[in-house]
Amino acid sequence: MPTQSLDACVLTHRAAGSRRTHAARPAATASVVASPRVDQAQLAAFRRGEAGGIRALYREYGRLVYSVAHRVLGRHELAEEAAQQTFVRAWQAADRIDVDRDPAPWLATIAKRTAIDVYRREARRPASALNDVAADDPALVSLPPDIDALDAVWHVRRAIDTLPRDEATIVRLQHLDGLTHNEISEELGIALGTVKSRSHRAHRKLASLLGHLREVPHG
Amino acid sequence: MADRPTNEEREKLLADARVGALEPQEAAELSLLADVLGDSSTWAEPRAGLEDAVVRAVADAEPTTTTSRTPPARSEARRRRRRVLASALAAAAVIATVVATVLVTRGGTSPDYEAQLRATASAPGAQASADITRNDAGFRITLDANGLPDLRSGEYYQAWLKNAAGALVPIGTFSSSDGRVTLWSGLSPKDFPTLTVTIEATDNDQTSSGRQVLVGEVRAT
Repeated sequence: MPTQSLDACVLTHRAAGSRRTHAARPAATASVVASPRVDQAQLAAFRRGEAGGIRALYREYGRLVYSVAHRVLGRHELAEEAAQQTFVRAWQAADRIDVDRDPAPWLATIAKRTAIDVYRREARRPASALNDVAADDPALVSLPPDIDALDAVWHVRRAIDTLPRDEATIVRLQHLDGLTHNEISEELGIALGTVKSRSHRAHRKLASLLGHLREVPHG
Repeated sequence: MADRPTNEEREKLLADARVGALEPQEAAELSLLADVLGDSSTWAEPRAGLEDAVVRAVADAEPTTTTSRTPPARSEARRRRRRVLASALAAAAVIATVVATVLVTRGGTSPDYEAQLRATASAPGAQASADITRNDAGFRITLDANGLPDLRSGEYYQAWLKNAAGALVPIGTFSSSDGRVTLWSGLSPKDFPTLTVTIEATDNDQTSSGRQVLVGEVRAT
């Protein structure tokens, strides 16, 4: 039986409750986007609280942490606060780091919990008059995004970060900005065929990194 | 700009990259992936200064004791050792407090700069003071403010240092209208001697709103 990636599990969990089984959710240490770029020496430096180690971990995972925090909190300044707190908590628990393993799952767990903690703190703050609150204000939402949704953000963001910049740009313009291939061609000043080939290549990589759809075991 | 793509359109982009027809389960999984790809949080970029802020936050954080990381099941001997250790740590904390008090009294840890901030017409009840101490990470600014006006949803306070030419350097954001917050600057207050606090909104505009609530001049102690 082919193995299932964590990302496939994440997608499966969100999409189909019927697959929410223990067997379908391996230990959260697996990741299809392995190959961490933070080496053992840098992790050890982080554990010692050295600036070089902190910067190395931030440069590899800072955007992921920020994306998860932003997904929970929806506000730039709160997401930054949660990101800072995530790295502080990670350092305070740094004796749990196994320098021989990818720290991503460990850091992802801290990031999600920290963001939710900030969310709950904000939810307890004195409320403004309802008329002054935007419809999408986090305070009006009774629950933060569930953990599986945050897992998906973490892994999708990590997969995006592995794409070459030109491919990531096209994926962003397609999915976030809603541009067609023709519009992207005009926006970037490149040939339509180039846009199509880069888009196809990028989506194949994303499907490979995050889908593994045909490898999901049944039963 | 075109309308945002529908879920169906985003899913088709992903489905087209695969070989063969999609099964219903696969389509559902692609639907989630399309949702996440279309979420602005997935693409959100932190500001460039966050890395420095993270380094400073870790440098400023207190380490936890090993007792907080010990599993609940412990032997009596281990618990005894923990109690002894805790007692020793408590005694050390008392000694450290006494030493710190003496040092402060003697001026050993006095700030390098200080500022008294006055309220603006936008916040007549506000007042604040700031102590600024230089260390290896930069200039640590402890701002003790009270009486700031209540924030509306989506607003936050932002502190700045300003030089004679009017150039502004952001030194941190906070949301508490009363109390003490720690801010950091990578530039010397000697060159940026005006400390201000403004109210900002989450509008993707990184420049100052100009809504000053506190302003004061920094001076060397």
